[in-house]
Amino acid sequence: MTMPIIEVDHVTKEYQLGQLKSLKQTFLATASRLVGKEVERPVPFKALDGVSFSIEEGEVVGIIGTNGAGKSTLLKLISNISKPSSGNITVQGKIAPLIEVGAGLIGDLTGRENIYLNGTILGLSTKKIKYKFDEIVAFAELEEFIDTPVKRYSSGMQVRLGFSIATVADADILIVDEVLAVGDLAFQRKCFDRMEGLIKRQGKTVLLVSHNIRQIERICSRAILLDRGRILSDGVPDEVCELFIERSNEKIEMQTRQMNFSGRNLRSTGEVELVSYGLVDEAGNPTDVVTMGEPTTIRGIFKVDEAIERPEVVYGFHTIDFFYIASMGTASVSDRRDFVPGHNVVDCHLPSVPLVPGVYCLRLGVLDQYRREMLCGDMIVVFNVVSCNEKTVHMPILGIVSIPSSWDFSNTDNKQVMQQLNLGGET
Amino acid sequence: MVRIVKDLYEYRELLAVLAWKNVIVRYKQAYLGLVWTILKPVLLVLIFSIVRSFVGIETGSVPYVVLTFGALIPWVFFQESTSEGVNSVVSNAVLVKKIYFPRVIFPLTAVLTKVVELFINFIILAVLMAIYHITPTVHALWVPLIILYTVVVALCISMAGAAMNVYYRDVATALPVVLSLFMYLSPIIYPLAMVKKTLLENQAAGKWSETLFTLYTINPLVGIIDGFQKAMFYGVAPDFGVIWQGLILVTVALPISYFIFKRAEAYFADVI
Repeated sequence: MTMPIIEVDHVTKEYQLGQLKSLKQTFLATASRLVGKEVERPVPFKALDGVSFSIEEGEVVGIIGTNGAGKSTLLKLISNISKPSSGNITVQGKIAPLIEVGAGLIGDLTGRENIYLNGTILGLSTKKIKYKFDEIVAFAELEEFIDTPVKRYSSGMQVRLGFSIATVADADILIVDEVLAVGDLAFQRKCFDRMEGLIKRQGKTVLLVSHNIRQIERICSRAILLDRGRILSDGVPDEVCELFIERSNEKIEMQTRQMNFSGRNLRSTGEVELVSYGLVDEAGNPTDVVTMGEPTTIRGIFKVDEAIERPEVVYGFHTIDFFYIASMGTASVSDRRDFVPGHNVVDCHLPSVPLVPGVYCLRLGVLDQYRREMLCGDMIVVFNVVSCNEKTVHMPILGIVSIPSSWDFSNTDNKQVMQQLNLGGET
Repeated sequence: MVRIVKDLYEYRELLAVLAWKNVIVRYKQAYLGLVWTILKPVLLVLIFSIVRSFVGIETGSVPYVVLTFGALIPWVFFQESTSEGVNSVVSNAVLVKKIYFPRVIFPLTAVLTKVVELFINFIILAVLMAIYHITPTVHALWVPLIILYTVVVALCISMAGAAMNVYYRDVATALPVVLSLFMYLSPIIYPLAMVKKTLLENQAAGKWSETLFTLYTINPLVGIIDGFQKAMFYGVAPDFGVIWQGLILVTVALPISYFIFKRAEAYFADVI
């Protein structure tokens, strides 16, 4: 039986809320406690509340959760920076004592000096740093700037240097908090490759905190979802991440629903007023739930005071994180109608909802015939796509759109078919 | 005790690198650089010399300038390393919050850094001694021991002070005031011989004279400064009659100080 490399046992971490007390208050409180009076103690804030789990060697664990869920606190406790209020943490093996990449960089020192300083802090010997020096510099792509004080570096350069030093440290356990968020795409790619290298080739144990769920799904072998100091879910990344996304979506949906749609999301010149916008069912009643693959209608009602000649109306879908999925416009409609004074109803019929189950938003644009924007906005309406078939997997894993497809299976023993498919076949 | 030293030995490279960082960072953007290290004692000697011309202080065979500079070397070293040490944890807040290594390293490096500056002042002292034709004898070998003792005294205050400073920044603010008081309570402007003469020979405080003298020597700096001057200039061994009082104090205070630091360090990252 192998020992877990990290064992977290009923760990609770409390923080005192509020300011430091003045000397007078401290004295008075101590005095009244001494005479046996009950003193009103402030209720501590529980950043972590009875968290238990263990991690085996070689596991790559992603920790996700909303802001304030306790992710960073947990990493701090594991890396011994802070002590739990109650409970135990046992770590077998050497831990790279690094919570934030680039944390130990000193602005006044040059890149070269910082490599030695930070490397030593991470437990590398001077000899080893010398040996690895060129590799570190090359990876960070800082050859030209290595003798410039780090305070003159851009933040991207600092992160590159920090990451580059941190990943040569030979610890058994690597702890990283939101590293890959900075740096340009090319560098992120490189970091990613290096992390995978560390994980797959050297079998290091990695604890990773990130808000980039896709990243977690991709490199982690396990994910832990924290919520207000408790473990909400712990298991296969796909499932844990799905739960997290579901919860975030619910939250966003709630927030968006509370907003008035004619309010802040719209930019308008005042010529066109949006009266209502949204999905309607076959009977014409507004709805915010549609079924994947079923027909639906997007209806907008616009009020104008003066007639507008041949306006162009665009309806579109986007995800909650503003990924534009599709737009349907009237640009190509030859018999586009004018807006007449009063209420104008514009319906867009979709024969089948092309989205996989999840939460989506509707966007809208109204342009005049010269393509001048008169009214437009994003995230005006939030709606749910559900599946009639329970087994369909959720959006982030499978994709966003559902493309209607049909399947054929045939038997390839038929010589004629095989020749058609260029598979040769016996002659 | 052995374990503590062994643990620290493992971190020797980190200690060295952090001390080197402190030195570099301090002087990197200062035009005068290390000259500042010399300037402080030199200016103080100048001021004291001027004061002396009004007051009249008996120094015997060694010139006042040399004697005072000799007193200022351990004193400035003690003063600087203590204030650096007390501030060490707070000024490294970034590291405390993000990276783990034994926190004692902070006050230790702070004191170590000052050893570098100490050496520079020794060069000036050598020049001064050459000018006044004072040759050190074999008793100068006491000096490293005296410096080590000073390091321990500085650590005593640094560890407890640094820990308390994390919780109450008042400590670092109060420290310079207290230290400048202590400068007058230590035989720097005046030699210890003067105190001895007043209290022990002339019995200036009547029957309290002996007690008062013992109280005066509880300040470890008294023994340190006097010992330094004796070993360096007079070519005799330090006088243990004025050292033991402070030594007892330090022997008691050091473990307490370390204990306070250890108790507090677990929560540094939370409160800093």
